[in-house]
Amino acid sequence: MKKSLRGYRNGLGYLMLAPWLAGFVLMYLLPMIASLFLSFTNFNMLSAPKFIGFDNYARMFGQDKSFWKALGVTFTYVFALVPARLAFALAVAMLLNSKRKGLALYRTFYYMPSILSGSIAVSIVWKQIFGSGGVLMTLLNQLGIHQKISMLGNPDTAVYSLALLGIWQFGSSMLIFLSAIKQIPASLHESAKIDGARAGSRFFKITLPMLTPTIFFNLILQIINAFRAFTESYVVTDGGPLDSTLFYVLYLYRRAFNYFDMGYSSAMAWVLVIIIALFTAVIFKTQNNWVYYESKGGIGHDS
Amino acid sequence: MKAKAIFAAIIAVIITAGCAGQQAAPNPTDAPASQAPAAAVTEQPKAEAPPSEEPTAPDAKLSITWWGSQTRHDYTQTLLDLYSSNNPGISFEASPSGWDGYFDKLSTQAASGALPDIIQMDYLYLATYAKNNTLADLLPYADSGALSLGDVDENLYSSGFVDGKLSGLVLSSSVVTFPYNPAVLSEAGVSEPTVTWTWDDFIAICQQVKEKTGKYGLSSNPIDTNILNYYIRQSGSPLFAPDNKSLGYSDDSAFAGFAQLYKTLVDSGAAPTPDEWTQINALGKEASPVATGDAAFTTEWSNFGVIVAAVNPDIKLAVPPYSSSGNKALWIKPGMFFSVAQTSKLKDEAVKFIDWFINSEEANAIIMAERGVPVSSKIRSYLKTSLNKQQQDMFDYIDLITAHSTQAPPPDPQGISEVNKLLIDTIDQVLYGRITPDEAAKNFRSEADAILARNN
Repeated sequence: MKKSLRGYRNGLGYLMLAPWLAGFVLMYLLPMIASLFLSFTNFNMLSAPKFIGFDNYARMFGQDKSFWKALGVTFTYVFALVPARLAFALAVAMLLNSKRKGLALYRTFYYMPSILSGSIAVSIVWKQIFGSGGVLMTLLNQLGIHQKISMLGNPDTAVYSLALLGIWQFGSSMLIFLSAIKQIPASLHESAKIDGARAGSRFFKITLPMLTPTIFFNLILQIINAFRAFTESYVVTDGGPLDSTLFYVLYLYRRAFNYFDMGYSSAMAWVLVIIIALFTAVIFKTQNNWVYYESKGGIGHDS
Repeated sequence: MKAKAIFAAIIAVIITAGCAGQQAAPNPTDAPASQAPAAAVTEQPKAEAPPSEEPTAPDAKLSITWWGSQTRHDYTQTLLDLYSSNNPGISFEASPSGWDGYFDKLSTQAASGALPDIIQMDYLYLATYAKNNTLADLLPYADSGALSLGDVDENLYSSGFVDGKLSGLVLSSSVVTFPYNPAVLSEAGVSEPTVTWTWDDFIAICQQVKEKTGKYGLSSNPIDTNILNYYIRQSGSPLFAPDNKSLGYSDDSAFAGFAQLYKTLVDSGAAPTPDEWTQINALGKEASPVATGDAAFTTEWSNFGVIVAAVNPDIKLAVPPYSSSGNKALWIKPGMFFSVAQTSKLKDEAVKFIDWFINSEEANAIIMAERGVPVSSKIRSYLKTSLNKQQQDMFDYIDLITAHSTQAPPPDPQGISEVNKLLIDTIDQVLYGRITPDEAAKNFRSEADAILARNN
């Protein structure tokens, strides 16, 4: 009797889970298995795939200069973007943590870029601001600073103007920081105040250590996101100039859909999965050194 | 946990929004256009009795896709409506698009077996799709008379053969041209180009335009291998080897000369830097500098004048410059094709529409050669009387070019889009001063050979 009840409950549970499960299996699991298989084939999407073993991987690491270029660009982007975005998100979260009128409105405003800037429209606006003959160039011209080349047109700066666009998408990290800041017990700050601690040292001695679990969480999330960046380079620069903004995923997309090289592209996708997994693993390993959990035994900060 | 779920949801939404957006990605060529020509003809159809001999299958829905600018989208839709009212039961599901992204989408559709019944196809990709058996062989229809090719020059329609199968029916013929804005030339005080001008003349004119007016002499950078192909053919060799496994020319100085040409122009300000070109290229044909009077020349296809007629009716077409060798190197290119998907369940209906598209006067009275000079000689003479100035120019240009042409190269090899990208990147490196034209020629050879060997 008990057993069948449990069976019934499990069944009900799975039934409730079914929509998500179906989505997961159809949209993630099966395509992933397919792509793993395809990564060992020569597949142009129009004809049946031909099994070629590790040739795609060998070509990628051995011969493909664009692959290494794309990898380099993506690492530059990740390292430029993630720390800056997190710092900015934290700074804004601190500002928004005060008690002022209309704070909810500010929060909404500051979250907006996150919704907008993944979009095509904002990417095009970016092009108009930082591109040749764009707003920035015109403004600098008026100030007497004459540039021959725009920020987006200069191979040395283009990737950073894209990072700037990325930093602007700080909203989700900011909200997570904000809620974490609110959970820091006020008593800590109060007793520190009584002991004569200034705002600066309270931030570095109390707020920041208490936030490390949140920083840890945001860091992982943002690194994963940054590695997968696509729209920015696809729309704003199309990977140019001189491949200086050739993001990994853009190159992967080109190989698949422009060059009819789906097998190779699948192999690239798996290499990216491994890179992201390695990164995440390393950060997890280091967390004992810098992440402070107030109550040991809890898994994370969110409860 | 809840917070995390909400953020996950938000992030998911952002990501999906990003993906959805890409399909509606910017379409520079879809920019402004005149609705006038299409609107003018919308009213005529319904009075006519449907001329269909055999009753059509009820409720057949043909899917059709093409690239083009707004003008083309508008009149093609008019055309489809007319065909539907002539052929009760036939309706269309149209997917118009700009050139950008068109073939990205098509490859995805092909992979999932969901190609539209009728596909506007380019010479660039005809071989790629045909060799992978995604396009129906139209030869049986031509043999049975369902597809009437009696008025089409054999040289033209045979450009659609890939491995003995008629994989697409050519709709128009087209030639590389250097369209120019006469007003800009006269402002700079230079005379209009002759048919036998040379690259040196061209450079001199462009630089004088820059000096006298501050405008671009040439407003474009290379976007694919077509101009290079012309340049290399002038040296007496084809761009690609007959087996498509390597480049077809052996003298790297030809490529170096091509790179040097652009370098000379860009360095003197007579042509845009790659940085400036990115912005210009996004404007679309109708708003391009030559059309708006901000540049003297561009590099285009012969239907350019017709496409921009509503913006600037005075654009003229110049024959591309000769090299000092004096070799004729132009070729009449099949402009674009209609292909039928191998997976289509409505092949008969699709072919019937294509037949109507090329052979019927009522269809061509609407198309008015916007897709290029029609392939049917009967239609050409039918249109002669009603052509406007730009269309007449285009017809004259193609006639003129015959004297400057040699045999057309075969369809572009598989891997051509990667070669195109390689060319753009290589020229960019020269224009950014990272490599010399000679180094560019060497790099291009080694990498292009590798791409071609891998794909063919």
